Amino acid sequence: MLTKYLTTLSVITALIFTAVGCGSSMVIQNVDYSQPIESVLAPDADQMIHDQRFAIKFSIAKVLEREGMQTVDEVRLIRNRAGFYFLTAQGFNNVYVFEPGERELKKKEIIEISSEGIGDPAFNQRDRYIELVDRATGQTYNLDQTGRR
Amino acid sequence: MNIMNIYLKTYTLLLAIFLIIASSAVIAQQSDYQIQQDFRAELAELSERVELAVSTDELVELEQEISDLRDRYAEHSSIINAAIYPDTFERSVARVEENRAASAERAAVIDQLNEQVDELTAEMEVFRNRITQMSAEAEDLQDQIERSTASESRQAALIRQYRQNIEQRDNFVSDFLEELLMKYQSMDRTTQEELADAAERLEDSPLDVIKAIVAEYINVADQSSGLEAPDYIGMRAQHGYFMDVWDRIGDRLVTTFDPEREVQAKQEVEDLLAAWLASVDNRLWDSLTTAFNQNNIQLGPFTSAETFNTALNNYVDSGYELSLETNSDEDYNIYRNFRDFWNTTVKASWGEALTDGNILSQSDIAAIDIKVGNWGEAAQTTSNLMFILFLVSIAVIIGLIVLLLTKKS
Repeated sequence: MLTKYLTTLSVITALIFTAVGCGSSMVIQNVDYSQPIESVLAPDADQMIHDQRFAIKFSIAKVLEREGMQTVDEVRLIRNRAGFYFLTAQGFNNVYVFEPGERELKKKEIIEISSEGIGDPAFNQRDRYIELVDRATGQTYNLDQTGRR
Repeated sequence: MNIMNIYLKTYTLLLAIFLIIASSAVIAQQSDYQIQQDFRAELAELSERVELAVSTDELVELEQEISDLRDRYAEHSSIINAAIYPDTFERSVARVEENRAASAERAAVIDQLNEQVDELTAEMEVFRNRITQMSAEAEDLQDQIERSTASESRQAALIRQYRQNIEQRDNFVSDFLEELLMKYQSMDRTTQEELADAAERLEDSPLDVIKAIVAEYINVADQSSGLEAPDYIGMRAQHGYFMDVWDRIGDRLVTTFDPEREVQAKQEVEDLLAAWLASVDNRLWDSLTTAFNQNNIQLGPFTSAETFNTALNNYVDSGYELSLETNSDEDYNIYRNFRDFWNTTVKASWGEALTDGNILSQSDIAAIDIKVGNWGEAAQTTSNLMFILFLVSIAVIIGLIVLLLTKKS
């Protein structure tokens, strides 16, 4: 009886340890993904943009489609501290916030800035938010992945 | 009215406050990306201007502009550091400043060289003008000498003046050569190369001036009339001095002032120097023969420094041998005539120029001196005189004895 009890206990203990050992994931907290300076990128003929410095390459075709534009000369891209990408361009009405995933950028938020289109946008990295400056109007907008702050 | 004034004042104040706030808001609307782009562009422009700058003034101005750039962007240094990583704001500005300092140093050297070249240009101009003036005077005197054959005294006066003119030119050229020696004898290769770059704009380089001088000397030697042995000996001496200077600084001068055709440039000057010597020699040997002849010294024929030396030695040797053989008064007179001319004219008046002009060396003169001394001893008729005196003395003594004996008897 005791032997059976001990055997059962040992098996349960081993299973618990195995489950704990295999199931636990290492998580590093407080990662700062912030990109100090925005990237200003010119799309190629296939609407691909390639940021050599921060090593990211993707198509903006869907964004252009959403904005109803055929093409743009350059787009402005910045990543905030939380790791979300903010993208806009001259003439866009919105700022697009993307969350990176495995070989994908998933729309997190589309932040409407101006129905007239942003005249001359620029992103600045600030401590707790991304600053969008429309240098054409002098207006600034403080943004994060949830929208305007 | 008062209420209106207060209203106006308040309105103005509010408007001013609004403008200040609005303008500060506009100023604040900057793009970090643009800031670093502007910084990069301004720095690149300054860097390019530093590369292209050639004057010290320009580089001083750039020093201030670099400092202004540093001050203006210092507050954005962290943005710039992030943008230009792994480079940094401070390092990139310092790099341009270092380049500027190096350029400033180079420009200072160039400025100094330019000053030297300007000085040299002015010197060359003065020199050329003076030489041209002297040449014109010489030509004029030469013409006058040729035209004044009717009056011997006038011709003699003109020849004296002509000699003075040549002497002045020699002194002037010697001073010029002395100056060249001082400047270029100890010049190192780097300075020569630096000066060579700056000297490209020289219209008249020292090399050109040297060639012009030598050409002028050839002209004088070829065309002079009324000149005598001492004048040509003087020309030979001047040539000797010129050769000496050329041997010492010729290489440096061609490297500095004609670096692209060093060998050719050197050969050109050396050919001119050889032609000058030939022109002088063409007159010198005849004039020396004449000078010796005029003093009743008939030297054997000579056409070079070596054969002149041989002719002198042969003359003294044969005089010595003749004195040993005959020991006559005539021989003694020949000896005395040569000795006087040798000591008072050849050695005293021409001696220095003869050695400077490589006509006779000090050892040649000393050797002839010894021979002349020996000749003097051989030419002395003292031994006959003593014998005669001895005979006379004996005759007198005998006479006296005879006289005494006669008186006693």
